[in-house]
Amino acid sequence: MKVAVVLRQVPDVVEELVIAEDGRNLSEDDVRYVTNELDDCALEQALVLKGRRGARVTAFGVGGIEARDALATSVAKGADEAVFVPLDFAERGDSHRLAAHLATPLREGAYDLVLTGVQAPDEVDGSLGAILASSLGMPHVGGLVAADVDANGPKAVVRKEFAGGRCGVMEIALPAVLGIQAAEQPPRYVPVSKVMQIKKTLQAREMTAPVPEVRGTRIAKLSKPETGAKAKMLEGDAGAVATAIAGLLKERGLL
Amino acid sequence: MASGAMQPIMQVPELTKSQAFLKRLEGLPDGAKVRDCIQCGMCVGVCPHGSAMEFPPRRVIAALRADRLDDVYRSESVWMCVSCYNCSYRCPSGIPLSDRLLAMIRVDLLMAGVGVPKELQTAFERTTRYGNPFGESAKKRDAWTKEAGVKVRVLKPGDSADVLWHVGCFPSYNKANLKDTVALARLLTALGVDFGIMGADEWCSGDLPCTAVGEEGLFSLLHEHNSGQFADRSFGEILVGDPHAYNALHQEYPRLGTAYPVSHYTQFLEERIPELSKGMKKRLDVKVTYHDACCLGRRNGEYEAPRAVLETIPGVKLTEMPRNKENSLCCGGGGGAMWLDSYIWERTRTPLPILRVQEAAKTGSDVLAVSCPLEVPRFEDAIKTAGLEGRLRVREVSHMLAEAMGLVGGV
Repeated sequence: MKVAVVLRQVPDVVEELVIAEDGRNLSEDDVRYVTNELDDCALEQALVLKGRRGARVTAFGVGGIEARDALATSVAKGADEAVFVPLDFAERGDSHRLAAHLATPLREGAYDLVLTGVQAPDEVDGSLGAILASSLGMPHVGGLVAADVDANGPKAVVRKEFAGGRCGVMEIALPAVLGIQAAEQPPRYVPVSKVMQIKKTLQAREMTAPVPEVRGTRIAKLSKPETGAKAKMLEGDAGAVATAIAGLLKERGLL
Repeated sequence: MASGAMQPIMQVPELTKSQAFLKRLEGLPDGAKVRDCIQCGMCVGVCPHGSAMEFPPRRVIAALRADRLDDVYRSESVWMCVSCYNCSYRCPSGIPLSDRLLAMIRVDLLMAGVGVPKELQTAFERTTRYGNPFGESAKKRDAWTKEAGVKVRVLKPGDSADVLWHVGCFPSYNKANLKDTVALARLLTALGVDFGIMGADEWCSGDLPCTAVGEEGLFSLLHEHNSGQFADRSFGEILVGDPHAYNALHQEYPRLGTAYPVSHYTQFLEERIPELSKGMKKRLDVKVTYHDACCLGRRNGEYEAPRAVLETIPGVKLTEMPRNKENSLCCGGGGGAMWLDSYIWERTRTPLPILRVQEAAKTGSDVLAVSCPLEVPRFEDAIKTAGLEGRLRVREVSHMLAEAMGLVGGV
């Protein structure tokens, strides 16, 4: 069985996000990249499938030079193959474009499963997984917390989380695209020395095909959330605060 | 057998897993002393979690000798070690049990990715990425200086100062420690010390989340970064606020080729006691008991400096807990255990910080003085849990000194 995982480099929100002068993108110099957390979960789920079903895992690292580091980490964790998908800063964050770009290698690779994180902080035009499935003509199900393949047939058995703490178990015909919300176990740790070792020797295939002129959306303006009205703190002892609350509720016609 | 075939005179046996482990251990500083273990069990008796460990150091060595290393790997014992150095300190054969023997088991478990507690993984990942275990932006490392009330120079590459202050992660980011960091900055300023910090260029020293915890690759990464930053600046000595950083810079960095004179702030201030005494403006009138930090005391033999500087404060009456100096009870936060409280509690049911604050309260002291930033949040929580609020306060030595010198207004 062959499993592909897409690992996107996304802006790290631990660092301050600075809007570029053109007001339509983040300032490239101020962005620090990190592997999309949910893509990391997708990788973990792929590695779980490797351990359980002997799947061969290929990681597609999307982004700038940082994507190569993410690929080294994925190989150190157990991925069998790494593909570097360079994507210029200006071209990132558009799921339609990325899906169009990745469709060819994913089709040619004849993967049984393509795993992506169910969302990424910089995708503004919908989930990559669903768009990818549409490009590939494969079925898709997202919001998954577990995935396995059926030993008796070409299908996957997946668990999807619903509101109210309910879980659905579904079957999906292979090949398929799965959107992973959480892996069956937290992403594994790999020691720094192991990653360093792999970095020195990693031979990642590099995708050289031009990025298709497909656009899912055009950003007109980017701005920081505006601060709304501030919370009003009620002062005084419990009795005074209770009276004030009752007064406010009456004033607004809620009592 | 065909005649004339060459037969080896003697087969060189391949090393078993346990033998290979011992060989690697013997390559580390003092590691060869493991051969001298007399199985006395002193290490188990003095270990604060020894009774809960399936494999305390003595049994680890026995298992290695019996070629049963896999039994040790399967056990969770090694994650209960809080790196208090009691075993190493008491071992009659001088075996480096905490930071070599147990650390090596952790190294192997980490490499194999087996049984490593999740909380620790998070601390490692954050430290690798951000240079601090909290996952905070490196750019915010010197944010505290804005509230310092004194000028704190951030040294850029090429800058120089007499003293380079490696502030540390807890003192830089953790809310409960910031007042003490500011207090130390003000003390240094009041003493006329020419000092500077490295701001965003300073990363975790590596001792707390790495050395005794077995993440050697991460330790090397942090050492490489910090030593590169040190080399880019000129200074006479390094000052640290955290005993774990002191241990890293004093014991481990020289081993890796980075040797600078380094002192813990209590040692630095002890050398300036006459100036401190001259600057005293306020009597504190408190009964104080001092808790020896393991990395400063047992690990590095510094017991007197913190006591000597505390005694410069007018009105401080210093008293000792029954377990003091080399017998001090660990706060339970070392060796990565700061991130493993729940994990360890579930397996040992021994609440070290609570036991320690109860010992402090029994001396009748008003203040439990500490010289390690970890102990501030740990003991503050323990005081609340033990119902000692209002009776006992935990305070950094630096903050007490600054108060007596009239320097803590506003913090």
